[in-house]
Amino acid sequence: MDRTERDAFERGLRHAVGTHTGSALDAALLELGWPDALAQDTRDAVSVLFALQGSAHASSAALDRVLACAMGLDVPPSSGFVLPPLGGWGPPGELDRDRLVVRGLGTSSLLAGATAVIVARAVNTEVAFCVPSAGLTLRPVHGMDPELGLVEVHGTVPKDALVPEVVSPSWPDAVALARLAVGHELVGAARTMLELAREHALARVQFGQPIARFQAVRHRLAETLVGIEAAEGVLDAAWEDRSPLAAALAKALAGRGARTASRHCQQVLAGIGFTTEHEFHRYARRVVVLDELFGASRALTRELGAELLATRQLPAFAPL
Amino acid sequence: MELDEFRRSLDDWLDQNEHLLRPGHAAAGSLDEQMAQLAVVKRLTYDAGFMRWGWPERVGGLGGSSLLRAYLGEALTFRGLVEPGIYSMTEVLAPTMIDYAAPELAATMVPRLLRGDETWCQGFSEPGTGSNLASLSCRATRTDDGWRVSGQKVWTSLAQYAQRCVLLTRTGAPDSAHRGITALFVDMDSAGVEVRPIETMHGAPEFSEVFFDDVAVPYERTLGAEGQGWSVAMDLLPHERSTALWHRAAYLQQRLAGLLQATPAGALDPAEVGEVAQLVFALRARSRATQRRLAAGERLGPETSIDKVLVATAEQAVFDLVADGLSASVTTGDDPDGARWRREYLYSRAATIYGGTAEIQRNIIARRLLDLGADR
Repeated sequence: MDRTERDAFERGLRHAVGTHTGSALDAALLELGWPDALAQDTRDAVSVLFALQGSAHASSAALDRVLACAMGLDVPPSSGFVLPPLGGWGPPGELDRDRLVVRGLGTSSLLAGATAVIVARAVNTEVAFCVPSAGLTLRPVHGMDPELGLVEVHGTVPKDALVPEVVSPSWPDAVALARLAVGHELVGAARTMLELAREHALARVQFGQPIARFQAVRHRLAETLVGIEAAEGVLDAAWEDRSPLAAALAKALAGRGARTASRHCQQVLAGIGFTTEHEFHRYARRVVVLDELFGASRALTRELGAELLATRQLPAFAPL
Repeated sequence: MELDEFRRSLDDWLDQNEHLLRPGHAAAGSLDEQMAQLAVVKRLTYDAGFMRWGWPERVGGLGGSSLLRAYLGEALTFRGLVEPGIYSMTEVLAPTMIDYAAPELAATMVPRLLRGDETWCQGFSEPGTGSNLASLSCRATRTDDGWRVSGQKVWTSLAQYAQRCVLLTRTGAPDSAHRGITALFVDMDSAGVEVRPIETMHGAPEFSEVFFDDVAVPYERTLGAEGQGWSVAMDLLPHERSTALWHRAAYLQQRLAGLLQATPAGALDPAEVGEVAQLVFALRARSRATQRRLAAGERLGPETSIDKVLVATAEQAVFDLVADGLSASVTTGDDPDGARWRREYLYSRAATIYGGTAEIQRNIIARRLLDLGADR
């Protein structure tokens, strides 16, 4: 996309995430040609949509399409993709002699669609299957963030009912792309939290002046922006690098940046931010759940450290 | 010259000339040894052309993108051929001369700095002027035959080695704040200049106090116009947070890699190692974006304060990890390696203080980037 096209694309998406959420947003994305953009210009399609979705606190089944795109799977647009269980990043399926055992999460499209796409670990490889969703146990998740529309999935499918997809899917590539998508969503949510806290700090008067004048408040908000920009910088670098390592790094920094934003902004918003009268709490809830999708920042950080200690080398990253 | 071609030819040349470039001293060496080493490396890289790329032809450069300079400093740092702090003074002071000195003066002086013939220093801070730079009081008075400068500077890096100083002086009324400041380019061998190195906790007298007692400075040595010194300073500071900082990021990466090699098995917590590596990588990603903006001709501003917060945080985190992973070496090691780790650990304590404290950077971010209004 050139600059003008990208701006128009962004305007359309901004309007869509501002006015719709859930299946209505999925319909709007289809109308805007987002799935085509995803295939043609993955970086712009993913980075723009997910940042806006995080920022607007909208939800959609776009992550399903991102996974299908990363794995080169030609599946019906209404099919739902089974995601790894919360906190994990391995394939959600396991081939066990004569059956496929599934345990994971899904977006709302799993409830709506007739087909579920399941990637399963086989010996030294992964296989993708399309199975009827009716044969799986689906539980709509309320939990910390009921508005996110997640679904918990588990079930067992007999092997003779399984037809493998023809492509050989690359699960690590799918995880890497999903991490970039969720990373952008986390950064989008963090930017909105910062803006909410900033507006409050300028409007709220105590001791005869806006609390934005107090250095303790200013420094919390400055620290929030540093965390956001650090994550954004690594996300940009990860799109250039396109390595699983870079995507994990970006997701970890986005998760930590969003949690830092949540802590500082909640403190600046103080009492009002603790009520449901202010929309802050919806973002605070969302980033805790998003951080866990495809590996939480803590787990990814520990994994990176263990890898560095084992190899005793620092991998090359972001060459000039 | 494109970056890829520059990278290839520089890497080849460094491979072939490593024996000429390699420092003779053990580990980090003393500051005297580091300065001598810097002069050798600058001279050789200048004569081979590499040091001249990325600088304008009118000051002896060969033109080309500033990314070439960024890569040169990174490559020299990765190979342990220069200490990045003293190497990168060029990145801070040469752009100021190019932008503000009279063209003939810049054309004469800048090549001397690039070639390593001269060392320059930067006279900004004063005993009563740390974070509040606009309150400086070192006075320059107009006379019939030039400026007369009297006053004191402090924290002046490398002043005892320097032939020249980019000096901020008060030329307006004492309370004229940022309006009454003028920048001068002063010869350090002028009568009335006295330098007293400061012994610091890391054991290298990198900073000095500099005293000016009625020092004569010709008018041709004014950088910019009279009263424009604040602009000179504000344009210089982003250079402290761009290419110089890219070199610092390369240094932190190199030292973290060194720690991974040297640390005993089991001495470090994987979660902590991962977090420190992430800080270093985040700094690198951010600083690369800044290098690219600089190369594209963008004017750098307050957003570079984010780069500065990231580098200070990363530097202290790296050396906190060093103090954990190599605790015996840092605390009781008296061999050259131990002395180096200890010195670097101690120096990292200043990372949130020099070049604008961490608090000042956050004030800049709050006011200029978050638009939170004045804090006073």
